[in-house]
Amino acid sequence: MEDVQVVAMLVRRCIAGDAAAWEEIVQNYNRRIYNICYRFAGSADDAQDLTQEVFIKIYRTLSSYDTHKGAFATWITTITRNLLVDHFRKTKQDRMTDSLDAAPSDHEDAHPLSDRIEDKSAPPDSRVRSRQVGETVHAALAKLSPELREAVILRDLQDMDYRDIATALRVPEGTVKSRINRGRAELARLLQRTYRQVM
Amino acid sequence: MPEQPSHGMQCHEFDILLADAFDGILSGSQLDRFQAHARACPACGPLFADAEAGRNWLKSLTEVEPPAGLVENILASTTGIATSHLRHLAPSTRPLTSWLERLQASIAGLVDPIWGTVRQPRFAMSFGMAFFSLSAVLSIAGVKPADVRQVSLRPAAIRHAYYNTQARVIRYYENIRFVYEVESRVREFKRATTPAEPAPEKQKERKNDTSGEPEQKQERNYSQSDNHLILAGAPLAPSDDLPVVSVTTYRRFV
Repeated sequence: MEDVQVVAMLVRRCIAGDAAAWEEIVQNYNRRIYNICYRFAGSADDAQDLTQEVFIKIYRTLSSYDTHKGAFATWITTITRNLLVDHFRKTKQDRMTDSLDAAPSDHEDAHPLSDRIEDKSAPPDSRVRSRQVGETVHAALAKLSPELREAVILRDLQDMDYRDIATALRVPEGTVKSRINRGRAELARLLQRTYRQVM
Repeated sequence: MPEQPSHGMQCHEFDILLADAFDGILSGSQLDRFQAHARACPACGPLFADAEAGRNWLKSLTEVEPPAGLVENILASTTGIATSHLRHLAPSTRPLTSWLERLQASIAGLVDPIWGTVRQPRFAMSFGMAFFSLSAVLSIAGVKPADVRQVSLRPAAIRHAYYNTQARVIRYYENIRFVYEVESRVREFKRATTPAEPAPEKQKERKNDTSGEPEQKQERNYSQSDNHLILAGAPLAPSDDLPVVSVTTYRRFV
């Protein structure tokens, strides 16, 4: 967990124009923001652009951060989530015309989901297998509705507590829990269906 | 999801407790009721199994490595400063031992934020504008940097310089075309609105008076421009024999 005083000091230095403090913030949080963007957007290129946009937004609105209202990590997660929602709305039309089997990102081999699952000739190395499973789950995650996807990402991948997720998503805690359950269940059903088709 | 009470638990309640069950915070009778509902309810049982499977699938996702150069790109798009330049600005993590180091650190703590602000491009821009404005005002006031060395600080000299500058500023102000035009308009307006004064009774007394209005004769001369008669070499006494020459003068007004 972040030390509230250390982060508050860092933010104060940053507002005062200390470029080194800003670099420290970027170094500390770029990985987290990039991962949220990558899991939500599904593409490494989009994630990189979105991460930059998030940091530009943080840089511009840093003076509005109130240490008493919540943790800095929650605040930047809220900014990230809002930008992701905007991005989702903007790219809705593009996605509707895309093939469901389109390659999701640069991190994976540029093959459709069904091709990757079908590939039984992969070497039996456990690291390779685990990587393939990860890619499959990532592709299935991209098919969840954005409400379920963001809740699952923040809980299961970012390990945030329910209260912080509720703050970031601006919904009650009960709704957060319900979305997480439905998201997990929906993901499992998607993966089961995909495997059944392949078998 | 159908609301089906089973073992004293509604499906809605089960849905809320599902997340807590995975986190392992259910205990006692609440856990028993939860497990009994999961076994008995045809909707919640599969939901529990699917949610657990989905959670396990998600565990297989590991953190991805951000692309190289992401931090540099972010810094370039926000501060516009290269990372390598910032490295030496970052405070050292080594514990400070001597009192001199502690003093330096405390001074740096006060000065660094100010220095950081000064180095911002927007501050440099503001400073540049302020400098430009100041130099423009000084040049209008006639202050030259070369003269500063020769400035005498005697009270009389300062007073003289003050009046001199004041006079220069007033002269500059009054010579501005716009100001001059406004003033002349105001004068005309005043003249038009003020009722005409009665003609002075004793014209002769005003002969040497230069402070007042010009004499009527003089005014008439300026206004009579076109045709008038000039008697060439006419004697004081009028005579019918002398020729009369008609002269036309053209005056150009600029």
